Amino acid sequence: MQNLDVISVNIWQMLASLANLLIIFLLVKKFLYKPVKKMLETRQNAIQSDYDAAEDAKNHALADKEAYEEKLRGAKAEADDVIKSAVNVASQREKEIIAEAKEKADGIVRQAENDAVLERKKAEEGIRKEIVEVSSLLTEKMLEREVSGADHQHFIDSFIESIGEDDAD
Amino acid sequence: MKKTSLRFKIVDAFYIAMMIIPFLVGIVLKVLTKPASEGINITGAGIYFTIPMPLQDFPVTESQVNSLLVSIVILFFCLFMTHGLTEKCQLKRQHFAELIVEKVDGMVNENMGEFFKGFSPFIIGMMALSAVSSLITLCGLYPPTSDINIVGGWAVLVFILITYYKMKCGPINYLKSFTQPVAFLTPINLISEIATPVSMAFRHYGNVLSGSVIGVLIGTALGSLSSKLLGWLPGFLADIPLLQVGIPAVMSLYFDIFSGCLQAFIFAMLTMMYVAGAFDIDTYKKIMEKKNAKKAKKHASVE
Repeated sequence: MQNLDVISVNIWQMLASLANLLIIFLLVKKFLYKPVKKMLETRQNAIQSDYDAAEDAKNHALADKEAYEEKLRGAKAEADDVIKSAVNVASQREKEIIAEAKEKADGIVRQAENDAVLERKKAEEGIRKEIVEVSSLLTEKMLEREVSGADHQHFIDSFIESIGEDDAD
Repeated sequence: MKKTSLRFKIVDAFYIAMMIIPFLVGIVLKVLTKPASEGINITGAGIYFTIPMPLQDFPVTESQVNSLLVSIVILFFCLFMTHGLTEKCQLKRQHFAELIVEKVDGMVNENMGEFFKGFSPFIIGMMALSAVSSLITLCGLYPPTSDINIVGGWAVLVFILITYYKMKCGPINYLKSFTQPVAFLTPINLISEIATPVSMAFRHYGNVLSGSVIGVLIGTALGSLSSKLLGWLPGFLADIPLLQVGIPAVMSLYFDIFSGCLQAFIFAMLTMMYVAGAFDIDTYKKIMEKKNAKKAKKHASVE
C-alpha cells in the first residue's frame, strides 16, 4: 500500500472533504437540529398554553370568589332586613296585643264593677225589704195594732238610709 | 418512564450498531491493507486507489474513507439522539440532544449575533466531524484531521463563507475593505485574507498530526528504553516492552482526546469569529434599506 507524503495538497481531496462537511451540515440540520428545535418549540407552546390555562383558571376562580362574596354579603343584608322587619312586626304585634289585653281587662274590670254595683243595689233592696217587713212585723207585735204601713215605710226608709250612709263611711 | 416497545428497541439497537460498525469496518480495512510497521514510520494517509481526474489525480485515501465512516457514525448518532423525541422528555438521551442544541445555539448567538441563527447546525456538524475525526485514532484508525487536505477543505469552505458574507455588502465595499485603513496596506490585507483559511487548516492539522507523531515517538522510545533497561530479564520477558504499558495511554489522553476536542472547539470558534467578523451588519442594513426604498419607488412609479 502506497502512502501519501505527510504534506501533500490535492484539490480533489479538499473538494471531497468540503462536500463532506456540507453533507454533515445538512444531515445534522435535518436529523438533529430541526427535530430538537421543533420539539422544544412544541414544548414551549405546551408550557405556554398550560400557563395560560392556569392563569385563566385562577382568574375564573377569583371572579367566582368575588361573586360568592358579593352574594354572601347580599344574603347577610337580606337576613338582617328580614330579622329587622320581623322584629318590627313582632313589636307592633306585641303592642297591639298588650293594648287589646288592656282593653279587655279594663272591660272586664268595668263589667265586674258594674256587676258589683248592681249586685249591691239588689242586695240593698232585698235587705231593705226584709228589714221593712221584719220591722213592720215587730212593730205590729209590739204595738199590737195595725200600723199604717205607709207611715212606717217612710220612717224606716230614712232610718236605713242613715245606716247605709254609716256603712259607706 | 414509559415502557418502550420492542420495535423501538430494535430500531435503537440498529442505530447503535450502525454507530459501531463503521469503526469495525475501518479497523478491518486497515488490518487488511496496511502491514504492521516497525520503528518510526511517519507518513500521510495510505492510498487505496487513485481515480484519474483533470488537473490532479484523485487518490482515495484512508482519510477520505475514514471521514466517510465518521459521517455515517454522525448520521446514525443524530438519528439515535432524536429517536423517540417527545416533549415530555421520556428518554435520557433527549436531555443530551437538547443540551447540544441549546449550548451551540447559545454559543452561536453569543459570538455571531441574531443574524447568524442558521449557523447552529453548521457549527454542530463541524464540531462533531472534527472531534470524531480526531478521536478515531483511539480505534487505531488514521485520523482524517491529520490530513491537510481534509482540514484544508473545511478551511476553504470557511473562506468561501467569509467572502460570501463580505460580498453581501456589495462587491465595491468588498474591494474597498482591502484598502483599509490605508491604501498601501493592500498587499498585507490580501495576505491576511488568504492567511485566514491557511492558518486555520494548519493549526488543526498540525495539532492532530503532532499528537500522532508524538504518540509514535513516545511509543518507540519507550519500547527501546524498555529493551535496554529490562533486557536482562530471563526468557520471553525481555521481549515484552513493559514500559510501553500505561504511559502511552496517559499521553494519548492529552494528545488525542483533549487536543482533538479542543481543536474541534477552536476550529468552530474561529469559524464563528471570522464569519461574524466578515459581516458588517450596519452597512448591510443601510444597503437593504436603500434597496427597499428603490423598490418602493419603482412600485409607486409603475402604479
